Amino acid sequence: MPKFPTEEWASEYVEKLNSNPAYKDAGKNWEGDITFVIKSDDSFDKDAFLYLDLHHGECRGSKFTVDSSEIPQSEFKYIGKYTNWIRLINKEIDPIQGILTGKFKLEGSMMKIMKFTKAAKEMVSTASTVNTE
Amino acid sequence: MWFFRSPEIVFGEDALSFLNGLDFRKIVIITDENIKKSGLASMVQRSLPEGSSSLVVSDIPEEPTLADIKKRLNAVSEFAPDLIIGLGGGSSMDAAKAIFAIYERPDLDIYDITPLVKLNLRSKAKLILVPTTSGTGSECTWAAVLSDEDHSRKNELASTEIIADFAILDPALVLRLPPGITRNTAVDAITHAVEARSSQWRNYYSDIFAEKAMELITQNLPIVIKDPENIRAREEVHIGASMAGIAFSNSQVGLAHAMGHSLGAHFRIPHGITVALYLPQVVEFSEPDARESYLSLMNKMPEKFRKGNLADSLRAFFSEIGQPLNVKDCGIDRKEYSGRLESLVALAEESTGCVTNPREASSSELRELFENVM
Repeated sequence: MPKFPTEEWASEYVEKLNSNPAYKDAGKNWEGDITFVIKSDDSFDKDAFLYLDLHHGECRGSKFTVDSSEIPQSEFKYIGKYTNWIRLINKEIDPIQGILTGKFKLEGSMMKIMKFTKAAKEMVSTASTVNTE
Repeated sequence: MWFFRSPEIVFGEDALSFLNGLDFRKIVIITDENIKKSGLASMVQRSLPEGSSSLVVSDIPEEPTLADIKKRLNAVSEFAPDLIIGLGGGSSMDAAKAIFAIYERPDLDIYDITPLVKLNLRSKAKLILVPTTSGTGSECTWAAVLSDEDHSRKNELASTEIIADFAILDPALVLRLPPGITRNTAVDAITHAVEARSSQWRNYYSDIFAEKAMELITQNLPIVIKDPENIRAREEVHIGASMAGIAFSNSQVGLAHAMGHSLGAHFRIPHGITVALYLPQVVEFSEPDARESYLSLMNKMPEKFRKGNLADSLRAFFSEIGQPLNVKDCGIDRKEYSGRLESLVALAEESTGCVTNPREASSSELRELFENVM
């Protein structure tokens, strides 16, 4: 059972995302990469990054690292503290409400991402299906 | 964590006189030609503080675009108001919100009006919204809808900073609203109430406002349709519509709005007609995940319309007031509608209403919902 956030978790997540027909459908018109930024807090001692290259309902590539210099520049960044990420994965926080309440920050065009809220929600739903320790 | 947001609300007979006691000197009224012609803009001007000067911008078109907003900004900026009043239906009030924001911050791109950007408004002016229809609820919300230049898409700008400082609900302003507009706007408010009460983001505050809105509107709208100058019934529908606005502004709308916006962008028919057209279908589809919400709402309707479930109760109510329940009755050619199904689905899927609806719909389910009103 992988821990969040680790390389093992990231690869299982990408696998599940690519086999989720609901995400494939919701993200069919999406083009753009996104980095999940997991900020350290009392429960997690270093920042971590998961880069996802998303294209037409498919994740074409990914990279997990704890070194920010290794992360490619992405169109979007979704940033939150570790504890809030855990709550998001457990579906205790809605990804859009997370932004509106300041628990998460989005860097990138809000107008663009608001047209793909269904895809964003499917990405979170997929995360909650990863058997996380 | 979540919030409850609302402007300060002045309501009831003579509410417009509230303006007279305010301390503003230069006032811009944003409205449309019909409101000006009907004398309502003059009525507001007569209520302004003594000694103040005013400028009436009275050419806001239906479903304004960004270019429409920009075109009117110069006149507003040159006048340098300390108060902007949006007077009218959703188009004028949404235009007033956008003009207010850009007048304050000319450096802003209009699409920066999102919850992510701190706008720092209100250094130059305050915003008051005065509805002349009972439906959109825009006077109470923190969103403004602007269409693309070719009207192929409606863009929702949203920021808590564009919520009005005051909303003024005076029934005198809706007393002579034509029957068609009375119905089309009120069914929009009913749709707000139903979708707010069942939204995935619903909360205790939005629930209360949605239920009371449903009660006020469905109990009084049939009276208003038969007796348009019944001011008590008009006032209750007017207040109900603003309560529905508060409800959805604090919880979000759902699939009927996602579908209605898409239909409106394709066929340019009044917003209320488009959302109410789909509402019974959406309620039927969402019933398994919203039973309790729908039961509460149905029980707020007059007894004679209650048909065992909310979808059928809404159909009975809409039939009574003459609200169309299929595309043909909306004046849309079925063949043309059918030919645009794919595009209707695609545009609806871009709306947040798809993820806040109590039951999420796949593309094929959404297509079926569109087909069901043919």
